[in-house]
Amino acid sequence: MIKEIKVYLFILLALALIFTYGYLFYPHSPVKPTGLSLERPSAVHVLGTDDLGMDIFAQISRGFYISMFIGLSTAGLACSAGGILGIASGFRGGKTDGVIGFFINLFLSVPQLPIMIVIGAFFGQSIWNVIVIISLFSWASIAKIVRAKTLQIKSKDYIKIAQSYGASFFYILTNHLIREISPLLLVNTLAVIGKAIVQEASLAFLGLSDPVSKTWGLMINKAVNFPGIYFTHYWLWWLLPPLVCLMLTTYCLRMISREIENTITK
Amino acid sequence: MRKRKLILILLLLSFIFLTFTACSGQGPSDVTQIGNQSEGYRLETLKLAGGTDWGMPNPYLHDPRGPGTAKMKLVFDSLLEADPSGDIPWLAKEWSIEGNTYTFIINEKAKFHDGERVSTEDIAFTIDYYKKYPPVTNYLASAQGNIVKDYEIIDDTTIKITVYEPLANTLVQLGSFAVLPKHIWEKVEDPYTFTGPEALIGSGPYRFGAYDSATGSYEFIAFEDYYGPKPVTARLLFVPVSHPVLAFENGEIDLADVPADLLDKYRSDPSVGILGKDNDFGYKMLINMERHPVFKDVELRKAIYHALDREGIVEKVFRGEGSVASAGYVPVTSLFYNERVEKYDYNPSLAAGLLKDKKISVSLLTGNSGNDVKVAELIKINLEEAGVKVNVVAVDSKVRDEKIFAGEYDFALVGNGGWGRLPDYLRTMYSSKSKFTGTNPHYMGPLGYDNAKITGLAERQLRELDFNKRKELLEELQYEISKEVPIIVIANQTSYVMFRKDYYDGWVKTYDYQQFEQNRLSYVEK
Repeated sequence: MIKEIKVYLFILLALALIFTYGYLFYPHSPVKPTGLSLERPSAVHVLGTDDLGMDIFAQISRGFYISMFIGLSTAGLACSAGGILGIASGFRGGKTDGVIGFFINLFLSVPQLPIMIVIGAFFGQSIWNVIVIISLFSWASIAKIVRAKTLQIKSKDYIKIAQSYGASFFYILTNHLIREISPLLLVNTLAVIGKAIVQEASLAFLGLSDPVSKTWGLMINKAVNFPGIYFTHYWLWWLLPPLVCLMLTTYCLRMISREIENTITK
Repeated sequence: MRKRKLILILLLLSFIFLTFTACSGQGPSDVTQIGNQSEGYRLETLKLAGGTDWGMPNPYLHDPRGPGTAKMKLVFDSLLEADPSGDIPWLAKEWSIEGNTYTFIINEKAKFHDGERVSTEDIAFTIDYYKKYPPVTNYLASAQGNIVKDYEIIDDTTIKITVYEPLANTLVQLGSFAVLPKHIWEKVEDPYTFTGPEALIGSGPYRFGAYDSATGSYEFIAFEDYYGPKPVTARLLFVPVSHPVLAFENGEIDLADVPADLLDKYRSDPSVGILGKDNDFGYKMLINMERHPVFKDVELRKAIYHALDREGIVEKVFRGEGSVASAGYVPVTSLFYNERVEKYDYNPSLAAGLLKDKKISVSLLTGNSGNDVKVAELIKINLEEAGVKVNVVAVDSKVRDEKIFAGEYDFALVGNGGWGRLPDYLRTMYSSKSKFTGTNPHYMGPLGYDNAKITGLAERQLRELDFNKRKELLEELQYEISKEVPIIVIANQTSYVMFRKDYYDGWVKTYDYQQFEQNRLSYVEK
C-alpha cells in the first residue's frame, strides 16, 4: 500500500520537478510569443508552439503551478470550512446541527456545474473567483463526513468521562477530535485538490477563467476551438500535452487519496 | 401465464414505438408541418451552421448584427435589393427620382404570408410606424430624425415619397426598410413585446417556420405564393453544430467557413467550391477619451499604433489571410481605398518613448468568441511592452456590444464583417453630426472626440451625388482620419466559405456586401 503511494508521489514529484524547470529556468516565456505560429516540437521549443507562437512547454509548466495553487487553495478553504462546520454540527447538535445540516444538504443537492457556471459568469473571470466558487461547492461533503465522525467519537465512553471530569470543548478538540479526524481530512484534501483542478479546467474550458491566464483548461479550450485542428497535426503538440498532464496529475492525486483511505480503514 | 406474457410483450413494443416516435418529433424541422412543399423547388433542404441566437426574425426583435438582420430579411421584404452590379427591383418593380421625390411602383402580385395583398397602404403605414416605433435597424433614420418628409399614395401600387434632402444613399435607405403588414401591426401598440405568430408574417421569399433561442436553430419555409424569384429550397435550416468543418464533411451543413490551414486541402478537391470575402472582416479598437482624456493628444494615439505589431496579428491570428488595416479605416482592397493615407509601422521603442512616462492603465473590453481574445492578448502584450498596463475583460459579444453602447469601457476591441461596404459608415463613426444611434458597435466611433474637418468631409460626401466626386471626398476623408487616428484600426481578415458544387452553388455577394450567406439573393433562383 505504502509502496503504491510512493509510486504516485514519485510521479507527482517528477512532474513538479519538470515543471519547475519549465517555469523557472526554461528560456521561453509562457505569456509572450517566442517563436513562429504552430512550430513543431524541436530542440528549441520542446513541445512546439501554439498559434500565437507561445511555447507550449512553458505554458504547461505555468499551468501546473496555477492548477496546484488553485487545488491547494480550494482544498485549504473547503477542508477548513468543512472541518470546522462538521465538528460544530456534530459536537454541538441541536439548532446548530439543524442549520449546518440544512446548508450541507442544500449544497450537496444542487447541480454543481450549472450553478458554478452562473456564479462564474456573474462574478467575472478571475482565478480568485474560481477558487471561491469551487470551494463553495466542495466543503459540504467534507462537513458531512466530519459531522458523522464527530457524532461517532462524541458517543465514545472516554469522551463522556472526559466531559464528566469537566474537560472543555477545546481540550476534547485538541486531544481527541483532531487526532481522529485529521486522517479523514487528509484523504478529502487530496480528493478536493484533484477535483478542483478538473473543475477549474472545466470552468476555464467554458471561458469562465481569466481569459489570458495559462491554465490547462484554457489551453485545452484554445486548442479545441482552433478551426480545423483535427484535420491537422497541431493537436498532437498543442492539445495532447495539457490533456495528458491534467489526467496524470488528477489520477495520481486520486490514487494517493484512495490508498491512504484504504490504509486508514484497514 | 402465456396471456400475461403476451400482454407484457405488447406493452413493451408499444413503449418502444412511442419512445421512438416521441424522439423523432423534437427537431426544429418538425415544429411546422410542410407537407409536400418540397416539390417544385431545386432543393428539399439547405442547411447552414446555426448555434447562435440572432433573435426573432422580425424588424423589432432581431439582433442588430448581420446574421440577425439577414434572417429577418428572408421573412420581410423591402422595396429594393442589391446584386453584384447595383440596386435591383424587388417589392418595387420600378422606381424613379425627381428632385426630392422618389416614386415606387410595387409588384401587384406581392402578397403577405397570410394571403393578404401588399399595397402602398402597407408602405405608407410602415414609414409612419417606424417614425413612432424605430425598428432595430432604422434605415429611415437621419441625424435630424427621419429622412421622409411626406408621402403620397397615388394608387394601390404607386407611392411617391418625398424626402427632406436627396442624398447619395437616400435610394438605398428607402429601398431597404422592411415592409410591415398594416392589417396586423396597426393593432399593435408595443412592437417591442409583440411576439405572437402574426409578428412573423412578412412578404419575403421565406415564411417563418421555427426558432429556438436556446440552440440558435432556425427554420424557414419557401413561400409558395412569392411574387419574385422562386426560393431555391423548400426548407432553409440553421442547425447548431459543434465543429463546422466536421459537420460539412458529414453532410450536416451545406456551407461552412474554411479555416486558413485547410484551404489547400479543399482547393484540391474538385467537388468543393470556395469563395473568398476579401478583407471583409476586421478588428478595430475604440478609445473612450471621456474616461481617458490623455488620449485626446493625437501623438499618444499614434504611439498606440506604433506599439502594435499588427503584421504579427495577421500572421498569427488570421494565419496570414488578411492585411494590416489602413489607418484611414477603409480596407486596402476596397474600390474606395486611398493609397495616400498615413501609415504607422511597428516601432515599439518610439511607442515606449511616448507612452512609458504617462503611467496609463486601461481595461480592454473584448468579446469571448472567435479570435477576439487572441487579438486582445497580443494587443495587451504589445501595449504592456510600451508601458501601458492592460487588463483584458472578455465577455459575451452581446454584453460587449451593450457595454460599448453604454460607454462602459476604456478600450474596446470590436470585430465585425461588412468592411467592404460603400464607406458611408465612416460618417456614423467619425462625424459628430451623424453619430450612430443603434446598438451595433460596427458603426460606432470613439467617445469624447470631435474634429470639424472630418465631420465636414463625412457630411459632404453624403450630399455629393456624382460618384467620382464622392469617391474623391471619401479618399480625402480617409486621409484626414489617418492623420487624426481617432480609432485604432487593427487588421482585416479574408475569410473563405466552402460548399458542395454539385448540391448548391448559387451563393451571391452584392456590390456592397460580401457575406454570401447573409444575402437574400443567395436563397432565390437567379
